[in-house]
Amino acid sequence: MDENKAENKPADISYGEIAQLEELIDRESLREVCRSFFDLFGLSIRVFSARGALLATVHEERSICRYVNSLNKGRVACSETVAQAQMRLPISPETVVHPCFTGAVYHIVPIIYDDRQLGRIVIGPFLPSEVTNTPPSLLNLDPQLDPERARAALSEMPRVRSQTAIRIAAHLRGILDLILFSGHRARLTSTMHLATVRENYRELSEKNASLQDAFNKLKELDRLKSNFLATVSHELRTPLTSIIGYSEMLEAGIAGEMTPEQTGFVETIRTKGELLLLLITSLLDLNKLERGQLSISTEYIDPRAVLDEVREMCVPEAEKKQVKIEAAWADDVPFIQADPVRLRQILINLVGNAVKFTPASGHVELSIRVTEIRVRTEGDEAEEDDGGFGAALMMAPERAVEFAIKDTGIGIPEAEIAKIFDAFYQVDGSSTREYGGAGLGLSIAKSLVAAHHGTIRVESRPAQGTTFFVVLPEAQPDAG
Amino acid sequence: MQLDFQARELTVKLVYYGPALSGKTTNLQAIHRLLSPEGKGRLMTLETRDDRTLFFDLLPLTVNLGSGLTVRIKLFTVPGQVIHNSTRRLVLQGADGVAFIADSQLNEVRANQASFKDLRKNLRDNGIDPSTMPIVIQYNKRDLPNIRGEEEIRRMASQGKERIYLATAFHGTGVAETFTGLIDATWENLERSHDLQKRFGLAPGTIGEDFRRRFNPPGEAPRHG
Repeated sequence: MDENKAENKPADISYGEIAQLEELIDRESLREVCRSFFDLFGLSIRVFSARGALLATVHEERSICRYVNSLNKGRVACSETVAQAQMRLPISPETVVHPCFTGAVYHIVPIIYDDRQLGRIVIGPFLPSEVTNTPPSLLNLDPQLDPERARAALSEMPRVRSQTAIRIAAHLRGILDLILFSGHRARLTSTMHLATVRENYRELSEKNASLQDAFNKLKELDRLKSNFLATVSHELRTPLTSIIGYSEMLEAGIAGEMTPEQTGFVETIRTKGELLLLLITSLLDLNKLERGQLSISTEYIDPRAVLDEVREMCVPEAEKKQVKIEAAWADDVPFIQADPVRLRQILINLVGNAVKFTPASGHVELSIRVTEIRVRTEGDEAEEDDGGFGAALMMAPERAVEFAIKDTGIGIPEAEIAKIFDAFYQVDGSSTREYGGAGLGLSIAKSLVAAHHGTIRVESRPAQGTTFFVVLPEAQPDAG
Repeated sequence: MQLDFQARELTVKLVYYGPALSGKTTNLQAIHRLLSPEGKGRLMTLETRDDRTLFFDLLPLTVNLGSGLTVRIKLFTVPGQVIHNSTRRLVLQGADGVAFIADSQLNEVRANQASFKDLRKNLRDNGIDPSTMPIVIQYNKRDLPNIRGEEEIRRMASQGKERIYLATAFHGTGVAETFTGLIDATWENLERSHDLQKRFGLAPGTIGEDFRRRFNPPGEAPRHG
């Protein structure tokens, strides 16, 4: 609600109106239209905006005009008439006829668009067919005027019947109206385009800001969680070390002989304590991995030796469950560059899982083979979508070692596969689930593999079994 | 509303709002078809794709009153599709009255309601209290099967304050009533806020009456809609 002329913002459609002819008309095109009218009817045409700007003109100086202008009084009278014709504003929507002292006339036609006068067309001069005599206003104009010459020159002036001239003007006005309509529409469309883009940008900016805000809050929460986890794990580990230490001393009989029943109880306290310590250590590892603080000290190692060692460590647990562990590998397996403690941790976790999820009389197969891997180093993620820039170099794989841990266990449903490497994720997350664990092992394994520039992946079919593949690059020559 | 004292000219903006495909453009086409030529501008359609409005339609109308006052009415439609929300909000800016075109079909209840909520939200986003905006509601497409019954509509309407119109815009019925009803509702509101009768001798019912005289009865349906 605005009682004054609305102050439009640059891209405000408001009432969808236009104020000036200049805004809508392409002057060059308008001149072409006028030119074709001139060619067709031989009539001079000038188009003025409401503010008086001449937007297009096509005219030819007539013989009579040339002659009159060669006379002193004639020149004055002619320029007066022309100026008056060009300045005359039609008040009504009808054509105004403006006379010239030669007997010729100008037709002044208002350009009306959307009920507003935006300008005018001045047609002429031409001689109405109805005029047959040479008017006295011409003959008496200048004492030097030669009547015969004036008559001859006047006869060269185009002659048009008044009604025809009105129809010609109406036609020109109709064409102009179409041009104005198209221009108006184009202008509104582009204004609307701009306004919509601006409005969408504003909306998106607001949404981005609120998302950024939410993201910052989450990041802060995550940081708090990590700190909390680090502190709690550390504070838990100290008393736990004492519990395990004193249990071991009790078991060893340092505090005196115990009954077999007491020994059994103390053993349970110790083994459960050790389990708890393992879990806390895992939490600390994960925390360090998440913060990028875990240090990897690599050595030049034989993958076969590590896998065999892990197999031996897992055999007792497997035998308890009547699960067989088999191992097989080729002879030409290259050495790799890895942290032996962390590699063992990865493999123990995978083999341990395989045994845990395989029912009695099932088996677990461990194997090593030579394969290839495309090693991704720092900065690669940012370059992933570069459209294969330098692919002949950048896509070159390196020789690598693949550990496969295959079981005949329960398998993992397809929908869950993408999530199993997430921290704290359990396929069966219910409190009454059959298989224990904190859901940290695979998440830690994945992070550790990544720290070795390797990959880990899984193939699984429910009720048939699961195979985990860990691929680590071959040791680089300078590491030996 | 925009007032140009010098030109003695009053410009009023009316917006046809509603869910996608409820018949907003069809209403404007019918108004354009049924109104007598005097003071009727060209119907301008901006950017359509597959007969769906992308930006808006605009129909300018003029009333020249004997008193020398000219009333210019700009009829706009908004694009109904959900994704064009920012366009709707832009078109709605500066509106003096809204005709909400609802689809009478029973399975369009949710779409009608979602669009009305959208109208309310966009008015608020433009800084306008929706309760102060003159709104009339048209239940369109009365010729289709599976539509809400008239009696039920009247019962629901009696609980609200908006005037209700039934229409089949495709055949032109109910279109003039909706439009003149919107004019009346808008003028009552403008009279309250701008004292038009005192300042210009313009009585609230004048413009609506003028348009009622200018509408031809709905004739044949257009060959394509």
